[in-house]
Amino acid sequence: MRFAPPNPLRIADRSSGLNSISVRSYNERLVLSLLLQNDGISRMEIGQRTGLSAQTVSVIVRSLEQEGLVKKGKAQKGRVGPPAIPLSLNAKGAYSVGISLGHRQTDVVLIDFVGAVKFHTTIPNSSRTEGSNHTQFLETVRAAIQALPSNRERIAGVGLAIPEDRYELNLAPYGAAERYETLGSEIEADLGVEVYVQNDISAAAGGESLFGAAKPLTDYLFCYLGARLHNRLVLNHQIFNSNAIQSHDVGLLYLQKRLEENGLDTSALWERGALWPDFGTVEADWFDTCVSQLEQSMTALSQFVPVTTIVLSSYAPKDICEKISKRLEDRMDGIRAIAGSLEVSPKAIGAASLPFSSKFMVE
Amino acid sequence: MRTVLCYGDSNTHGQIPGGTPLDRFGLDTRWPGVLQRELGDGWHVIEEGLSGRTTVHDDPIEGAIKNGRTYLRPCMMSHAPLDVVVVMLGTNDLKARFGQPPSEVAMGMGCLIHDIKELAPGPGGNVPEIMIVAPPPMQDDIKEWSSIFAGAQEKSHRLALEFEIMADSLEVHYFDAGSIIECDPEDGFHLSGNAHKALGVSMAQEIVAIGWVDNG
Repeated sequence: MRFAPPNPLRIADRSSGLNSISVRSYNERLVLSLLLQNDGISRMEIGQRTGLSAQTVSVIVRSLEQEGLVKKGKAQKGRVGPPAIPLSLNAKGAYSVGISLGHRQTDVVLIDFVGAVKFHTTIPNSSRTEGSNHTQFLETVRAAIQALPSNRERIAGVGLAIPEDRYELNLAPYGAAERYETLGSEIEADLGVEVYVQNDISAAAGGESLFGAAKPLTDYLFCYLGARLHNRLVLNHQIFNSNAIQSHDVGLLYLQKRLEENGLDTSALWERGALWPDFGTVEADWFDTCVSQLEQSMTALSQFVPVTTIVLSSYAPKDICEKISKRLEDRMDGIRAIAGSLEVSPKAIGAASLPFSSKFMVE
Repeated sequence: MRTVLCYGDSNTHGQIPGGTPLDRFGLDTRWPGVLQRELGDGWHVIEEGLSGRTTVHDDPIEGAIKNGRTYLRPCMMSHAPLDVVVVMLGTNDLKARFGQPPSEVAMGMGCLIHDIKELAPGPGGNVPEIMIVAPPPMQDDIKEWSSIFAGAQEKSHRLALEFEIMADSLEVHYFDAGSIIECDPEDGFHLSGNAHKALGVSMAQEIVAIGWVDNG
């Protein structure tokens, strides 16, 4: 051992890029996970929270700095002693593409290493008659990657969020589920980028947990307000996923039906980032229906686990989620309801966070 | 009080570029002095620089006393307990008489790291924080030293990477002095007063960045 040549694995290659990505050690993941969760912590804090020695942290941080994944902040003068240097993730260190296949349209985003959306577009789903629009899918994904200023080797991967809820699948174009299954491998073959597939609601929950309103939370009920209302239980940062989880018909589809019955225009409902017009009493009634369902879910859940926080995520305007959260809080004592902070497309951003969590974080 | 041992060669001794080992910068100008000033009262910086010191070689001309390995152990024992051991060596190993490639110089450095870990002169008999410093590359023009250091200039540019691989492999701290300073053109391989200052300031930052829990 002592007189053997040094192990050059970690520093293997000095070229920039994420080439050594596949052999990330557990300790490196541990450090990156901490940095994804905490901005600006010192090497000492990393050591204290991971139990790694100062020298091990030093080696890992240096190699992550060289790879461009981590950067030093300005020295902070502490209360005592010399200044400490905070470390953060380098936003430009890695990028990821997220694709969310909805029942009406598909969202494609490109996010940087700290979750900022650098590119977003919405493309229509193919209809029954048109056949496949895979070509357009692939072109859009390529466009997302080309939106990057420089190197494509900084792409950690593509995340694909796929609906599994049978009601929503029934709304999607004929044969959608079968096409979704092959889409991942097609993108992988076309772009040579790794694709990670996940249930769309779990993806949104992962996105809010990594980059959104749920970042500081450990235990909560995650609710996604889409065409229908979906739930996921998150305990100790772990998202419980199951196909058996029920969704509820109190979502935007329900609202659409009510609005149509009242002869109101519903086009704003499915637009990304659009402001909704005042829907008057229909909206107020819908709020009540929605809040009742959330209350029911929370009450049922509280019989089994002491979860008192609920996160409501949606691509609908943030003030809608905020209004529903406020009403739920008014109705239930001791419950904290938080509107998600991922706007435009939480599912797509969540999908984009998948390659990051798979490649850089510990489970 | 925390203690830092600075173990090095003429560039830790503070030899003035173009001078002899007797021409030495003042205590406050030499990088260990700068380091002491930067770290402040809670720290004790020990300067152990010897002109001509190698990592692990007895020098056939200058003598066995230049061997960094044989002196390191008694040196650490004299000053223990040590919180940090900084080792900046390697340039003298590149002398033509030793015929060493940069990778072998790094192996010598690795040997010293093992010795430090084995002796464990840290508080409570633990392994101290070990910091390997790669010396800045030599200038092409090294005046009358060119035959003694024949071929060394090119090798000196490859020391940093070899040292870093060794530091990573053995999990110790590492600093590349060449990232902040250059050798003085006066003789091409010694450090100017300004370089000492910059090095001392950077070393203080590196040592602080290790992170120290204040246990009184």
